Amino acid sequence: MNYRDHKTRQLDSVLSEELRKSCDPYEAYRDLPEDELFQPAQFDSSAAERRGYSNYSYWGATLQAFFKNRIAVFFLAVIVVTLVFTYIQPLLPDQKDPKTIYNDASGIQIINRSPDSEFWFGTNSIGQDLWARTWAGTRTSLGIGFAVACFEALVGTLVGVLWGYVRKLDAFFTELYNIFDNVPQTLVLILISYIMNPGVGTIIFALCLTGWLDMARFIRNQIVIIRDRDYNLASRCLGTSTARIVTKNLLPYLVSVITLRMALAIPSAIGNEVFVTYIGIGLPTDIPSLGNLVQAGRLVMSQPSLRYQLLFPTAVLAVITISLYIVGNSFADAADPRNHV
Amino acid sequence: MKKRRLMATVLTAATAVSMLSGCGSSSGGSSSTYRMLYSGEVNTLNYLTTDNAVDTEISANVEDSLVEYDQYGNIKPCLAESWSSNDDMTVWTFKIRQGVKWVDKDGKAVSDVTANDWVTSAQYVNDAAHESGTQYMYSTGAVVKGAQEYYDYTAYMIASENGTKTKDADGNDLTPVSEAKAEDIGVTATDDYTLVYTLEQPCSFFLSVLSYASYLPVNKDFLDQQGDNFAMDNDSLLYCGAYTLKTYSPQEKHVLKKNPLYWDKDNVKIDEIDSTYNAEASSVEASMYKSGQIDRASISADLLNSWLQDASTKDQVHGTRPNNSYSYFYAFNFDPEFDAQYEPDNWKIAVNNLNFRKAMMAALDRIKAITVSEPEEENAKAVLNNTVTPAAFTTAAGKDYTQYDALKDITAGDSFDADAAVKYRDAAKTELTAAGCTFPIKVLMPYNPSVTNWDKECQVVEQQMEGVLGTDFIDIIVEAGPDTGFLSAVRRSGKYAFMKCNWGADYADPQTWTEPFTADNNYNFWDKSTDENTQKLFTEWSGKVADASAIYNDDEKRFTDFSEAEALLISNAIIVPFSISDNGYEVSKINSLEGEYAPYGMALQRYKFQSLKDKSMSMDEFNKALQEWKDARTKSIAESSK
Amino acid sequence: MAKYIVKRVLHSMITLCIVIFIVLALLRQMPIEGYFSNFDKVSKAQIAVTLKKLGLQDPLFVQVGHYMLQLLHGNFGRSIKYREGYSIAKIIAQKAPISIEIGLISVGLALLVGLPLGIAMANSVKTKWKFWDRFGTVLIVIVEAVPSAVYHLLIQLYGSELFGVSMLFSRDDITTWLLPIFSLSLGNIVYYAMWLRRFMVDESNKDYIRLARAKGVPSKQISRSHVFRNAIVPLVQYIPNSILFTLMGSLYVESLYSIPGMGGLLVQAIKIQDNTLVEALVVLYSIISVAGLLLGDLLMAVFDPRISFTGKEGSRR
Repeated sequence: MNYRDHKTRQLDSVLSEELRKSCDPYEAYRDLPEDELFQPAQFDSSAAERRGYSNYSYWGATLQAFFKNRIAVFFLAVIVVTLVFTYIQPLLPDQKDPKTIYNDASGIQIINRSPDSEFWFGTNSIGQDLWARTWAGTRTSLGIGFAVACFEALVGTLVGVLWGYVRKLDAFFTELYNIFDNVPQTLVLILISYIMNPGVGTIIFALCLTGWLDMARFIRNQIVIIRDRDYNLASRCLGTSTARIVTKNLLPYLVSVITLRMALAIPSAIGNEVFVTYIGIGLPTDIPSLGNLVQAGRLVMSQPSLRYQLLFPTAVLAVITISLYIVGNSFADAADPRNHV
Repeated sequence: MKKRRLMATVLTAATAVSMLSGCGSSSGGSSSTYRMLYSGEVNTLNYLTTDNAVDTEISANVEDSLVEYDQYGNIKPCLAESWSSNDDMTVWTFKIRQGVKWVDKDGKAVSDVTANDWVTSAQYVNDAAHESGTQYMYSTGAVVKGAQEYYDYTAYMIASENGTKTKDADGNDLTPVSEAKAEDIGVTATDDYTLVYTLEQPCSFFLSVLSYASYLPVNKDFLDQQGDNFAMDNDSLLYCGAYTLKTYSPQEKHVLKKNPLYWDKDNVKIDEIDSTYNAEASSVEASMYKSGQIDRASISADLLNSWLQDASTKDQVHGTRPNNSYSYFYAFNFDPEFDAQYEPDNWKIAVNNLNFRKAMMAALDRIKAITVSEPEEENAKAVLNNTVTPAAFTTAAGKDYTQYDALKDITAGDSFDADAAVKYRDAAKTELTAAGCTFPIKVLMPYNPSVTNWDKECQVVEQQMEGVLGTDFIDIIVEAGPDTGFLSAVRRSGKYAFMKCNWGADYADPQTWTEPFTADNNYNFWDKSTDENTQKLFTEWSGKVADASAIYNDDEKRFTDFSEAEALLISNAIIVPFSISDNGYEVSKINSLEGEYAPYGMALQRYKFQSLKDKSMSMDEFNKALQEWKDARTKSIAESSK
Repeated sequence: MAKYIVKRVLHSMITLCIVIFIVLALLRQMPIEGYFSNFDKVSKAQIAVTLKKLGLQDPLFVQVGHYMLQLLHGNFGRSIKYREGYSIAKIIAQKAPISIEIGLISVGLALLVGLPLGIAMANSVKTKWKFWDRFGTVLIVIVEAVPSAVYHLLIQLYGSELFGVSMLFSRDDITTWLLPIFSLSLGNIVYYAMWLRRFMVDESNKDYIRLARAKGVPSKQISRSHVFRNAIVPLVQYIPNSILFTLMGSLYVESLYSIPGMGGLLVQAIKIQDNTLVEALVVLYSIISVAGLLLGDLLMAVFDPRISFTGKEGSRR
């Protein structure tokens, strides 16, 4: 019995000791040797500043990763050179006017002349210089492409994000999309050119009107996929505002696909211009554009000796598209932070 | 699994049919088949309502009219064996050919063609409910008694919903039209084979009106039986022409097969005409002709050069006979309605100045403008037109209209004269400066982007005219109009200053070419000009035209008066005559010169009389044939006028 | 989910009505001239009769009402210009099957070639020679860079020369099917390959894939059951649409090869101002695209159970 009492008392004192220690931290560590205990740190202002600064910057790292890709840099240079060239070409010496019809000595129009030293890209069926027309057309088409792509990216992303993330707006945007998608573009384009006459403004307006739809739908699908992932759920539970979730959680995640999409938006806007020219409601031929030139070239395509008329504008269009595609793709790769390390 | 089964069925079907078709495509031997592509699908087979030349390509070959034409444009009996008219040319009696059958698409006889069939068609066409586009042929030029009255009455009944409404949608009052009966239309059948047309006023050219689609016959029983379904398909239509429409798959294929019961079988020399649809026919047909898949292709101006250089093709490509059923002319707008940025008030002062107009007329190098679509200068000259009424359009007393005294010099000359243009310009400059005009005068020149080559032509004209007159005198502004509704948006609303316009002939009389310039026209609006001189010109011209139209018993006098009126238009540069329509170049195994000829109506679209050749003509061969045809035509006209 | 679908369908009906309303309103703005082929010779009375018959003289709402009633009777009406007086349902019934057949074969081909190509490209990104990635990129670049109006023509011209097949389509000759189907699927092959590669490369950089790789899961299995499974989700949304859209046909290809399908029918109907045909096609195409969007959403939710449209679990709004 004694033994049992002893054990009971022993257990009791251990328990109460433990209890005391757990109630009072000082008691708990009092028995430990000095070097095992924490020391209050001294405030070091220089160290404090160092910690607030990280030399990792997202865009810096993206650019760094991008510039490591030689091929991409080469094509970026191609884009820049093409862009600059289209705008300075008319200022160069010995340039012909894209709209002037050239006559030979006897006053006959120089029609369908194959490329030679005087007409570098040859002449078209009424004797206009294709070299000048190609570059003038590139200017027009790039202008249209940039305008439409910017509008598309801006409106498309904005609508796409709202459509995908804000559930209350889902029904509204779905129907808005359906309406815009189903009122035929041709009808709108024909009416617009009936009211305001065909021209660059008309084309830009008409292409913008429906151009953002694809982008919006694309972004929306992406957002729908990730909006309920755990980290977003967590953010929401913590009370993060929608704007912040969108800009900090969702969009960075989509930077790579959005950039690729944007890079393709310019060529696709140009392609769209070619299409509307094809169905006969594009720019009038007195305003040179790649669409016009390609369409004019298509018509003489079956004649091998005249294929140069299709070749040059298509080649310029191809170079622009390829460069944008490769730059866009490499940039998308570079924009993924996981590729930054 | 499903997909594989589908593919398998397709495969077996394909092999079966290709085996069958393998032996059918030879074109030699006893039966001849003419194969070609077409890019414009017909909208309707109903020849009584269509006003579209694409539609009549079929109708012209499957239905016959009262009269037809020979190779040189002389009127010949067709379904009417003979005819006569009373002295003042207001009652025309036709003896209908007996034994002609209405057949179905397989060539089986259904019933006889009788005089009643024309009565039925006149009643059908003049009923507004059928919205016939060629109804006007009953009331312009030749006015058939009672036709317009019946039309107006039926139109009123529709607009007023059978007389229950007094206002239309815009709130305008509807004027009631007194009742008219279909039976009162001046087309009657005195017996099964005698047909009588009664006209409101004398008409010497009535026979030429008869080749219009709205004067084709239709079988009453069949029409009633089909109802709304009439002419919806090739089996809801009866045929009395040289061919039947054996296959009609829109946007795929049309097959015209020789009508086995046709009354004039010997003159139908091609047994079958296969037309295959291709929306891009113009860009693929040249290569398909080369590979022997089709028998005709048009060769665009762009392709011409390389075809002429290629040894295998150079002796095949040739020009075509210019088509003088359309006349193109540059019109000055006397009542400009365009935007202020193009200075309409300034233009108004300029356009009413004779020297300004003459300067513009003399400065326009028409050959240069035409070479856009017609690079060979010789051929460009052939489509040039110095008068509004094309040469070789109509003749009286054995003399071509354009050779009458008033027009003789204009026909022989050329309006383009750069030196004269400069002189007129200098004269105009002094006068216009005095009148308060500012320089350069802005000249708005719109074009329709959907019309092939018009855009290019405008660019050429702009540069060429500015080159002659100087950019300090005129500033031509070339602008694309909308391709849908171009005429309403531009010409009819007066939104142009100087623009190419056209007009098509309806019947064989110079009167048809005066219509675009009459009072309240929507071409050049010269009747609305507030300028004294222009008004005086208009009054003089209108008077002459009115006088000429009233003459019906003396063609020579009629033509003389009309030619004087036309000379007035041209010598005062109210308009600048330009060209007739050009069919470009082609390779073709048929010789279109053999076919029926008339510069209006459907005669040119008929395959009757034409035959399939082994090869296409070369440029020289064709030009020779064309010259021979022209000579033979002059001769035959001289003979027939005796 | 069922409730969501019903709601979406109901919403779509309203959309359809709005679309019809807008299209009818737009069509009323078209120039009157377009309803006549020889406008210079048409009298005023004739114009009035035609406009009356087209219903253009009624107020817009009356016209829309009439049209809705007609639709409710299952009647698309009759064409007014494309094929005057012919039943539109019959026009579509004649044209749609051929477009659908060719379209389905080419969509099938595109999926069969495009998806494996995309996978091969993504997998070879990490290999030494990157053969498939390079090959695919070149293909994508070429197809994307040359405007479709041009490469369809090139395929037709050179293809028919090279293989000696006819330039024109014929229903009964199987060899004439090959070029148009190839032409038609090329764009889709490239589309699927390009985006699948993009999504797979993005996916394969994620931490859980790295973990799996570190744990020694065979790369084939990673690629198949993790990377591909996740990357295909955004593409799945487009598949119902691309199948349903085969009904519309392709404008370029069908007009080049003379395929009597639906391609370009709408554009043509608008240009010739065949109002009834335009309305019918708009209704038909709207139904298709609305259904395609809905089916795509549902399919996406099936492929990725984490996606939900019902808005219950874990969503704040």
